[in-house]
Amino acid sequence: MSAGPEGAPLLAQGLVRSFDLEPAVDGVDLAVGRGQVHALVGLNGAGKSTLMRLLLGMVAPDAGRALVLGQDVTAAPPALWRQVGHLVEAPFAYPELTVRENLCAAGRLHGLEPAAAREAADRLLGDLALDPWADRRSRVLSLGNRQRLGLACALVHRPAVVVLDEPTNAMDPAGVLLVRRLLEVEAGRGAAVLVSSHHLDEVARIADRISVLHRGRVIGVLDPSGVDLERAFFATVYADEAARTGAAT
Amino acid sequence: MIEAALAVEQLKLRRSALVRTTTALLVLGVPALVAGLSAAATRAAPGSALAVKAGALGAAQGWPAYLGLVGQALAVAALLGTGVVVAWCFGREFTDGTITSLFALPVSRAATATAKCAVLTAWGLAVVAAVPVVAVLGGLLIGLGAPGADALAPGLRAAAVGALSVLLAQPVGLAASAGRGPLPAVGALLLVVVLTQVVTALGAGAWFPYAAPGLWAGAGGPQAADGVRALHLALVPLVALIGHVATATWWARAQVV
Repeated sequence: MSAGPEGAPLLAQGLVRSFDLEPAVDGVDLAVGRGQVHALVGLNGAGKSTLMRLLLGMVAPDAGRALVLGQDVTAAPPALWRQVGHLVEAPFAYPELTVRENLCAAGRLHGLEPAAAREAADRLLGDLALDPWADRRSRVLSLGNRQRLGLACALVHRPAVVVLDEPTNAMDPAGVLLVRRLLEVEAGRGAAVLVSSHHLDEVARIADRISVLHRGRVIGVLDPSGVDLERAFFATVYADEAARTGAAT
Repeated sequence: MIEAALAVEQLKLRRSALVRTTTALLVLGVPALVAGLSAAATRAAPGSALAVKAGALGAAQGWPAYLGLVGQALAVAALLGTGVVVAWCFGREFTDGTITSLFALPVSRAATATAKCAVLTAWGLAVVAAVPVVAVLGGLLIGLGAPGADALAPGLRAAAVGALSVLLAQPVGLAASAGRGPLPAVGALLLVVVLTQVVTALGAGAWFPYAAPGLWAGAGGPQAADGVRALHLALVPLVALIGHVATATWWARAQVV
């Protein structure tokens, strides 16, 4: 299920952000509806992570607005973030804390009371198959399991808006399956999910909508049920490159 | 939501190996060092190289001299020890990459920074309060005998000097945040220690908050200690307060770039 752009829980309106005069995000409009998994695909440096950081208020836009549940994130009250979960760049995994302690800490910081945080931690330990490591320090986890922990920490409070940057990074096939199932569950309960990935096969399986980001701009959408997503992706990117080259000459 | 931030920061501090090591070094290491020096000063043959060197460092017989030396050692050790922990507590969020996890939360970043300052200050004060107690045990072990009433004032002064040094370490959090890692903050801390020596040598020590506790403890001799007034020492909590406010403000405005 998806809402129209105006009522979308996660909305980018003409977002622009440059670093050292180099545009990282260059006028992006994007809407993620309730119950929708919206995938962002693009080459390295396309602007996916910067767009997510803008939507989460981690960087301020040079122009445009990022709206979460109808509120501009640059002026959002702290309580708004109670309804948002994210995994961007490094996972929430303090190496000196156990896996369970990390989950409880994430729950507390997302607004859960201590008892609710413990209960949610137990639930997520099962959901992400982290039970065997529950009482081990997170420094001993493999990269894939650290990523699972980060994902669990992002979802511990059942957020209405979920933003995940490369959530399957370093995961084995079993982990990838878990993520896919988890995102289906999140969308099924009505969360708006924005997820970035390099893996076109993977996003084709989980996404309701796929936006192609290239050089900081959304240059097209892909049909998740399309037969050759990779070919369609590169055709979109090359067409954009050709248009830019043509415009420059 | 500050309760949640306090609970999480307190847990991270409690689980940290660096914090445990620093606690042990300050609580056990400082009294052990001073007790060793004092024992050397009193037990080595008079005029021997060991006795002369220990004496030059201020070690002498009796509880007041012994606890005075504890205060002098604590002035430097508490600043460096707690400064390193403060640098780690703030800087690790950047080097570990966990800073992104502290954005987009109902706990504001200013609340997180304030919680860090609060738990660091509470930990540091608890540690320096324990040092004179352990130092008394050390004094008993080296045969100073039962402490009399004359031990109370230097013992309290040692704890107070330690507390002032803990407060002086607080602005290190701003250096770790602005430098986005613990190392720039440790560098700044060492620079402050060097600067303190220079300012003291120039004779303006009492007015320089980083020099005042050490001078008050007697590091510059009895005359310099007498020259340190309450007003000089009152600047120290002000430095900590400015450090806390500046750090929280920095965190409130921070971006992930």
